[in-house]
Amino acid sequence: MDDYIVEMRHVTKRFPGIVANDDISLGIKKGEIFALLGENGAGKSTLMSILFGMYEPDEGEVYIRGKKVETFSPNHATELNIGMVHQHFKLVSNYTITENIILGMEPRRRIAGIFPAVDVKSADKKVAELSKKFGLEVDPTQKIEDLNVSMQQRVEILKMLYREAEILIFDEPTAVLTPQEIEFLLEIIREMRRKGKTIILITHKLEEIKKVADRCAILCRGRLVGMCDVATTSTKEMAARMVGREVSFELGKEPAKFGAPVLNVDHLSVKNDDGFTVVSDVSFSVRAGEIFAIAGVAGNGQVEIADAVAGLAPVSSGTVTLAGKDITRSSVRARAEQGLAYIPEDRQARGLILDFTLSENLMLKRYYQEPYCVKNVLHRDEFDKKSRELIERFDIRSGQGEQTVVRSMSGGNQQKAIVAREIELDAPCIIFVQPTRGLDIGAIEHIHEQILAERSRGKAILLISLELDEIMNLADTIGVIYNGQLLKTAPADTLTTNEVGQFMMGVKE
Amino acid sequence: MTDIIVNGMAFSLPLFIIAVGGIYSERSGVTNLALEGFLGAGAFFGAVFVTLTSGLFAATSQLPMYLALIVAMLGGALYAVIHAVLCIKFKANQVISGVVVNILAMALTDFLTSQINSVALGQSSDKFVLTVSGRLTFEPLASIPVLGGFFTNVYPFEFVIIAVAVVAWYAMYKTRFGMRLRACGDNPYAVDAAGCNVARLQFTAVLISGALSGLGGMCFAYSVFGNYSTSIYTGYGYLAIAAMIFGNWKIPQTLGACLLFGFARSAGYVLVQKLGMPSTYSDLIMILPYALTLLLLVFFSKNNRAPRALGEIYDKGKR
Repeated sequence: MDDYIVEMRHVTKRFPGIVANDDISLGIKKGEIFALLGENGAGKSTLMSILFGMYEPDEGEVYIRGKKVETFSPNHATELNIGMVHQHFKLVSNYTITENIILGMEPRRRIAGIFPAVDVKSADKKVAELSKKFGLEVDPTQKIEDLNVSMQQRVEILKMLYREAEILIFDEPTAVLTPQEIEFLLEIIREMRRKGKTIILITHKLEEIKKVADRCAILCRGRLVGMCDVATTSTKEMAARMVGREVSFELGKEPAKFGAPVLNVDHLSVKNDDGFTVVSDVSFSVRAGEIFAIAGVAGNGQVEIADAVAGLAPVSSGTVTLAGKDITRSSVRARAEQGLAYIPEDRQARGLILDFTLSENLMLKRYYQEPYCVKNVLHRDEFDKKSRELIERFDIRSGQGEQTVVRSMSGGNQQKAIVAREIELDAPCIIFVQPTRGLDIGAIEHIHEQILAERSRGKAILLISLELDEIMNLADTIGVIYNGQLLKTAPADTLTTNEVGQFMMGVKE
Repeated sequence: MTDIIVNGMAFSLPLFIIAVGGIYSERSGVTNLALEGFLGAGAFFGAVFVTLTSGLFAATSQLPMYLALIVAMLGGALYAVIHAVLCIKFKANQVISGVVVNILAMALTDFLTSQINSVALGQSSDKFVLTVSGRLTFEPLASIPVLGGFFTNVYPFEFVIIAVAVVAWYAMYKTRFGMRLRACGDNPYAVDAAGCNVARLQFTAVLISGALSGLGGMCFAYSVFGNYSTSIYTGYGYLAIAAMIFGNWKIPQTLGACLLFGFARSAGYVLVQKLGMPSTYSDLIMILPYALTLLLLVFFSKNNRAPRALGEIYDKGKR
């Protein structure tokens, strides 16, 4: 077994109430790209955190280059030339790229031959060389706060390379990137393999694995359920093993039956708190029975459009019309009563009151109406009755039924609760902002089914998503937003994924 | 004019070194409202030292003062351990800890001052008499018009402060230690991921904060007050915090803020004299630096940026 650079034998890790890794054994060869595939909560990140020394396994052993690992700490892992790019970057925002990279192992020089000082200049050079060698294209003197996510990720990669990492772990590296940036990253990863590095890729995206990985381990509910050669295994097979059942990639999407326009957004501009125009002169309309999707890289104004339509952000110019009525200056409640349902981007901050019960949360838009409130007194039995009905209908799973405190529920079920509450309003227009963010395949399927069901019932749906696949699968019409402007609006079947990706990067026709 | 400069510098510099103490703590991510307590506690230790050793030195010797400055730094650091332990070890709310540390300092030093006076010296008093420090005038520089004020009647401790401040600046911006310390204030998780010990860095920063505040407090005791008593807790620690915020948590800018406050104060006194106001009105003028602070903060605080992770309780387990 000498050809394995990393070997894990019977690794088990338990957290209170859950077995995150259950008796996992696997080996990774030097110089390969090894993918770790699984749904959220399947135990991928935990397993790699063990390799990186952040957790100690309860049972089992880890061998690096044939030697058993005795101490588990990130520092020790670094000494063993293991590096990890976490999902959440760990960067100092007011430092330059170089300063971030050298932090913790700063090269020193002596001022006037006496006083020790950090030698940033020579480090700048070394970082620039490394960047060139692996095709990372960064300027070492830029500050982190001026960089986009993709650049920040490259800084994290450089950090590992600077520490001479030979085994590089990437935790969901593409979750925050645009299609073009993903291509760029995959190219970097291939380049690193060419230079003899061993890469471990944690992901739940099958196409990426298909594109770069050599071998793939599949985890499901903490267990290793499969190990396959990527070249000879179909994505469908991998998906089935990952979920534990057959997955249909095809959504049962009925042919479109468009009605009259329901939501009209006319020359809308929105300024943020600092007075910058973040949405400028955006116009579109959504018809009954249509899914209008806004595609774009995060932070290009799409969320502000949704907020302005929902009444959470003030409109600086332009009008929003709902079913023929101008709602540009209406209150949030007035809009809801006029027929607008809203599934916000941040479900925990804006969609739910986490310390309230599920029943209370399901009634957040109804509680003041009869029969839930009569003469200013709340009728909780009515809350609960209605809630049980919704829980049944939308398959919301929780520990103690409608009395469960929402904070204790899983992300997927929290999202189901919001969707249930909003759909129950029976509003002619529904806004979905990032409805499947952070959910696993099962929950995503469920939400997508709900969105399509509402479309079939003739609702006008505004969908805002960062997941291009989601948009391509669901949308009837796609508007691509870049820098606060709608660059392109076209029927979905006239656009390819690649074209949409191009527009997302601001490429004009 | 000379008076304004002389008194302005004598007030600004101790304020500045206290503010630098605040910068150390806050740039490491630990909110520090405890400067007031630190400066009082530090000065208390220095004053106790001077009082208890007064028999060992000649009456005219300046040596006790320099030793007192050192003891005040050590004492300030020692007292700062309370804030450090509460905030870092026990992860207490840093604002509450700071306020508690201030109240405790006042009560504790008041009590101990009386006790030490009665037990060690056999007298009932709530203060230690220190005498005001001697002053130096540098001829011929002092004869230069206007600027000569900077070389006239200078307290020797002003040079100590300048020297310490230069070292503090160098350590913060040029050394590994400073680089890691400032990183803690922005993203402690990045520092941890780089293999450094965040808790130790922050602990050290708070102790340095205590030492620098103690130094500043002792200087106030030797100049503004001429003795040590609870009257030292008149809000200079809070003024230092204001200067630090106004200086955007950077040492050079904070010096500017402190000079502004110091000169506003000394100019106020000259104004009182010129107008021939009764002394009771001089209290009104004492408000000047504080009113100025409020005004400036209203206009400038928008552009200022506190360290990003300031006041955030660092929990290594959190991902």
